[in-house]
Amino acid sequence: MINENDMKPEKSSNKKLDVNYWRSFEDLHNDSRIVEASHHEFKTGATENFNPSELSNISRRKFLALVGASAALAGAGCADYPDKGEIVPYNKKPEEVTLGKPNYYASTSSGCEHSCGVLVKTREGRPIKVEGNPDHPINKGKICLKCQAEILNLYDPERLKEPQKKVLSGVFDKITWKKANDEIIKSLMNIGDKEIAIILQGILSPSSLKVLNEFKIKYPSAQIYSYKFFNEDVRNSAWQKCYNSSHFPLIKWNEAKIIVALESDFLGSEGNRVENSALFVEGRDVSKIDEFNRLYVAEGNLSLTGMNADHRIRLRPHAQLDFVLSLITEICKKTGINSLLGGYKSLAEFAKQQNISLTILNALVSDLIKNKSKAIVHAGTTLPEEVHIAVNYLNELLGNTVLYRTDCSEVTLLPNSQMSDWENLINKMNSGKIGVVIHFNSNPVFHLADDYNYEKALAKVPMVVSLTEKENESSENANFVLPINHDFESWGDFKTRTGFYSLQQPIIAPLYNSRQKESILLTWISGKSETYNDKIYHEYLMNRWKTEVFPSLNSVLSFDRFWFGALHDGVVKVDEKVQTDFAFNSASLSELNSHKSAISGYSIVLKNNYSIGDGRLADNGWLQELPHPVSKIAWDNYASVSFATAKELNLKNNDLIEITIGSKTLKIPVFLQPGSADNTFTIELGYGRRKSGTVGTNVGFDAGVLLTKSNSGSPYLFTGKINKIDGTHELVTSQEHHMFDKALTNDAALKRKVIREGTVEEYKKNPKFLKQETEVELHTVYPFIDYPNEKWGMSIDLNKCLGCGDCVVSCTSENNVPIVGKDQVAKGREMQWIRIDRYYSGTAEDPNTSLQPMLCQHCDHAPCENVCPVVATTHSNDGLNQMAYNRCVGTRYCSNNCPYKVRRFNYFNYRDYFNDEYQESESFNLIYNPEVTVRSRGVMEKCTFCIQRIMEAREEAIRQNEKLKGSNVRTACQDACPTNAIQFGDINDKESEFQKYRNHELGYYVLEELNIKPNVTYIAKLRNTHAEEA
Amino acid sequence: MNSSFLDYLLRIRLPITLFVVVASFSFTYFVSRPERDGIGYQPEQPIKYSHKLHAGDLKIDCKYCHTGVEKSRHAMVPPLSTCMNCHSVARKDRPEIIKLTQYFNEGKALPWKRIHRVADFAYFNHSVHVNRGIDCIVCHGDIAKMEKVLQVNSFTMGACLECHRNPQKNIPNISQINNGPTNCFACHR
Repeated sequence: MINENDMKPEKSSNKKLDVNYWRSFEDLHNDSRIVEASHHEFKTGATENFNPSELSNISRRKFLALVGASAALAGAGCADYPDKGEIVPYNKKPEEVTLGKPNYYASTSSGCEHSCGVLVKTREGRPIKVEGNPDHPINKGKICLKCQAEILNLYDPERLKEPQKKVLSGVFDKITWKKANDEIIKSLMNIGDKEIAIILQGILSPSSLKVLNEFKIKYPSAQIYSYKFFNEDVRNSAWQKCYNSSHFPLIKWNEAKIIVALESDFLGSEGNRVENSALFVEGRDVSKIDEFNRLYVAEGNLSLTGMNADHRIRLRPHAQLDFVLSLITEICKKTGINSLLGGYKSLAEFAKQQNISLTILNALVSDLIKNKSKAIVHAGTTLPEEVHIAVNYLNELLGNTVLYRTDCSEVTLLPNSQMSDWENLINKMNSGKIGVVIHFNSNPVFHLADDYNYEKALAKVPMVVSLTEKENESSENANFVLPINHDFESWGDFKTRTGFYSLQQPIIAPLYNSRQKESILLTWISGKSETYNDKIYHEYLMNRWKTEVFPSLNSVLSFDRFWFGALHDGVVKVDEKVQTDFAFNSASLSELNSHKSAISGYSIVLKNNYSIGDGRLADNGWLQELPHPVSKIAWDNYASVSFATAKELNLKNNDLIEITIGSKTLKIPVFLQPGSADNTFTIELGYGRRKSGTVGTNVGFDAGVLLTKSNSGSPYLFTGKINKIDGTHELVTSQEHHMFDKALTNDAALKRKVIREGTVEEYKKNPKFLKQETEVELHTVYPFIDYPNEKWGMSIDLNKCLGCGDCVVSCTSENNVPIVGKDQVAKGREMQWIRIDRYYSGTAEDPNTSLQPMLCQHCDHAPCENVCPVVATTHSNDGLNQMAYNRCVGTRYCSNNCPYKVRRFNYFNYRDYFNDEYQESESFNLIYNPEVTVRSRGVMEKCTFCIQRIMEAREEAIRQNEKLKGSNVRTACQDACPTNAIQFGDINDKESEFQKYRNHELGYYVLEELNIKPNVTYIAKLRNTHAEEA
Repeated sequence: MNSSFLDYLLRIRLPITLFVVVASFSFTYFVSRPERDGIGYQPEQPIKYSHKLHAGDLKIDCKYCHTGVEKSRHAMVPPLSTCMNCHSVARKDRPEIIKLTQYFNEGKALPWKRIHRVADFAYFNHSVHVNRGIDCIVCHGDIAKMEKVLQVNSFTMGACLECHRNPQKNIPNISQINNGPTNCFACHR
């Protein structure tokens, strides 16, 4: 056990060395197991299950017999050895297809509420990768990891392939579409005075909404109920009270000098992360050092936004209101503004009560006052309404309202149903007044709060129809389960913002016997199952555009030409007015006066996760295997807790606790998260799906059971009791992998300059401060090698890298990286070619976080190359460290000798190993990038700098008879990075944009003193700390 | 003593030596026959298409059918619709054309026998070679003279490297030609 004294980091006389970079509590406290583990190259067990005698139980005789038989067979087969198979050309080739060349189609993803524009890369007609649509006004060519991983769901072998009808409880039989439609239409027609309830997860498409309205006209007893699992209702209702306008405006993050995020993860799990990050990093450009923004974060649990904060304040969410009110009091006092709010604690009192350093708070206040109308305070969606009202008032006082965007605002086509609507629905279901329930691509059994007792009520409905891609908790209770098309098989139009429409077109014909969900409704509206055809919704959509939208565009084109152009672009811009003037309604402040500041029990925060959305992507192996951006845990969720609170409750990592809120309980493992506020437990929602295919079922714990229908203030924030219970649950993390020997390299991150950073002040005083630290003579035994043509290099700007992980998923998709499963991650065998290293420094209570994407550095003097006994890894004449899979015999010497630990070994054929040949399903054959080898067992692999993309650019250059230009090559990680932190280019091209980064005064190489000449330049992070608080 | 040693030499040593020599020679001969690399492979095709007639006598450009050769990795065996550009009118009465029309009308795929094959793990690219001015003949032989196509060159890694290392010797008709890349990533990824 760790004792009290260890909680403070060791003090040394050298001020500089005081920064002790550590990765976890065990690391910080020199846990004996970790120290022991760090002496070994691989994790314990990494090489287990690898004994040949354990792998096969065939006896020697049997083996020889088999060898003999196969030799004989081979001999017999040799009779026709010259035969080389067949070439089967198209009968009629589609005009746009050139074999071996990709085509891109613009479409829209409806995986979340942002409906970002995508470009789907197809090869020979099959989608293989998702990229952002550069013409799209929101995501501007970038796309988040959820959307990139959506392609895996398209090829999911467990998608529903045929309509199904329940024959017995829990037993479904295949049925034809005609029969299913006939039966459903009959029930709809004979509904009488009973209600038809359509339950959906928000509507983003105006045409879809029109279909629903027509359905209501045809069947007048139909009612629509809409929910959003993660919604911004609290923030919007506070806005409504303050400004009498329905939508909280978007924010000009790029113009804010001071950003104060209160429990708000606007760079991570909240809002449109891709857009927010891009705007945020405009204030993190080292070439415009005077325009650096400063980010203050006050939060209960270390979030992605918190990791990027310049100053971070640990604060349990229940104290946020006090915090904002004392900020207002303090600011009013200092500026002499008359506050409409009085009688709250002063900031000093608050700091004392919460045990927060007053210097940070004073710095914050002076920054806010100094940067009036250039600062923004933003409250997170988990916080209650009063905090949002107080924050709105604070922004109003400081004139920060000019940072609200007036060029566009969000649009909601269909508001979420209120609690009373849902209660009515449940009552009607229970009293038999509902004839048909239609789950329109929704999963209310999983998503609705448990105390609605929705599942029980559903049993009393005579006819339940689930329209879904894949079986889920709700479809289990349905009489009919109808398969619907994936996004990439669907038509649609989307409207989530003012100013434009985003169009969706199918990229591939439906793989299975599924139908578009809107066409199913159209069939029912017609009342005859025969009316269905493939084009029914496509034509409907076009007609709506032709008659309703097109005339208002005043286009000079004919509709057909306009329509094809619009589909090509994926976006149609329209002129729309946005509300630009807001008048603050001071009456809203009366809500704050009833505020009581006493808190009892533990704070429990339920928040959005970073990868699997509201649980609909739980069956996505890429996303489950992506390490959590902060904790680096994969394949699980957990309750994160501070060190002090864990100690108080006698908790260790992996211990199970029981959380009790009223009558609801949840068992979940705990994880000791540095930087957590005391007495606060933070849990991510969306995990713990009970029915989500072989990959997603029972992964993590369903914290949704804690949600209640009537939580006042915020639906995601609670107080409750915590009990430690018996048992543990192993959380697997990629964090302790690839660890250096601590005894040899204590403070390695600092001493060996893995992470190097400074402050903005330091840089302004002396731009070359980083270089001056490193004037050492480096020696090498290798001759100088000249690269006369291209030489490839990368630069990663750590000021812009926020640690989101988009690059990891993009790389996985581009390079056919397999899913390995939780047990393999536990052994340190994950296969992702790029990882985001996360280092903590400082204390366990208030750590500073440093992030660093780590991938093959393609060293000029690569240590892996000279230890390979079979010359499988060598250097190319354009500076790449190449890996020839056919030569590799799997000695793993290269990985042993790699100082960056970026090589990945195929301990198994993971396509065969993971989940019983899951990835060898026929449909998955279509997902692979044909330009990259699919690796099998026993070979080493690693980042290739996307050699296939380099070769593609080279091919194009030869075709144009030009010299290959470095800027024409874009790697997959670079394409995905929402902040453009990653740059790639030709080191020998002295004129290129890339040179600026390569030779930057803040540029450094990791482990530079080894002199192995890596080719990835990292631009050191500058923290914009407040001068008095450095 | 002497006679028994000679006896040993003649009766045991000599036959073993001879056997090893003959066996290794014949084994080496067998595995290094050009046929092993597919040279001379000339399979029967489902339709008796004559390159000699089309490319030779009629002088139709290779790229009329193999449209991908300048644009893509694959030269592309043409879709049947390309054949039908002419044969919906030309020589409709010939038995082979009737067969072709049948395939086309039924929407069936035509399974040509593959003659030239590079292993799956090598990412050969037609366009980079053709756009550098390398003639099809260099690898495929004088197809325009072949009634029935056969493989004339070896398509092994050794054959690729031989040309990449000595392009001047192997492709004399291009005056300025650099050596081809010989690093792993040039073909394998």
